[in-house]
Amino acid sequence: MRAWMAPLAVGAIVAVAAFHIGVGAVPRGLMSVATGRIAQAGGINHMAFAPLATDRSRLVVRPSPDLAYASCPFDLAERPLLIEAAAVDAPYWSLSVFDGRTNAAFVRNNLQARNAPMRIALVRPGQPAPAGVEAVTVPTRRGIALIRILIPDRAAFAAIDAARRASFCRSL
Amino acid sequence: MAPAARYGRSRRAGWGRHRIGVWQTGTDFGSERADGITRAVIAMKGLLALPASEARYYTASVDDAGRALDGRCGYRLTGGALPARWWSVTLYGPDNFLVANDAGIFSVVSTELPTAEAASWAIAVAPTRQPGHWLPTGGVDRFDLTLRAYLPDDGGTGNPTAAQLPRIERLECGR
Repeated sequence: MRAWMAPLAVGAIVAVAAFHIGVGAVPRGLMSVATGRIAQAGGINHMAFAPLATDRSRLVVRPSPDLAYASCPFDLAERPLLIEAAAVDAPYWSLSVFDGRTNAAFVRNNLQARNAPMRIALVRPGQPAPAGVEAVTVPTRRGIALIRILIPDRAAFAAIDAARRASFCRSL
Repeated sequence: MAPAARYGRSRRAGWGRHRIGVWQTGTDFGSERADGITRAVIAMKGLLALPASEARYYTASVDDAGRALDGRCGYRLTGGALPARWWSVTLYGPDNFLVANDAGIFSVVSTELPTAEAASWAIAVAPTRQPGHWLPTGGVDRFDLTLRAYLPDDGGTGNPTAAQLPRIERLECGR
């Protein structure tokens, strides 16, 4: 009996370890896939403005059809990234920054910003922050910055869409 | 009413999630506190979810009687004021994407409701057009509903009670 106890124990340990490694890899893997898909629309370190989500929207799972999304897939390998979210006439809008592990490194909404444009610089740990801009440290090199705008009525989308296009992200 | 009195306790539903009536939620979406399994589940079913202070997400895949939500059936979704600045209910198919329907309707947002309905509202969830607020099912075999509550009154530290979350009553079922 003892002869197969050891292999069984080793097998169980390996299975548990493989499970945890697999679970840990899923967020990074799916984040990487999402970053790549969004980058196909506008490139890395550029803001892409998506239309309102429909059943044909397949970039990210479970999109909200009530929100207009603008996304900036970023790579901080060489330089910090400047992001500006333009103020729009909508009841709610926000800027959030997700790192490569799906953690939100930054979230701010229009109420907190008193409906003023938001301007931040993403930097990696140890990277010098640019003067005069609020710096947000992101622990991973890659990630996605996302602007969400509540569209209270689909008829209002055209005007909000025009206004949001003043938002941008670019390497410094 | 103080936030502490407006929010209730939930019970663990496993995999980093909590169940409140038929609605399931998580506490650490988009947060460094999220455990590995929560993080993996969210990556698969809600990538780029906001942290609790900004939005709470509640998903139901069964009706009040515990039966799986079936797109060939009609449902009556009813609720009242939620302790959040605004909310929406969205219908998703088993592939976690929006469900095709001729009306091009995928959700109902609280901002669409007349003020008179803010404290007591009803949404018909059904495959065919219904009077009033209608959320089409597209006739799919299975679907789920996600309630998003933005800017929760308590800053995301708690959850509404089961009584505060919407009820899902199944009506007739077609073939």
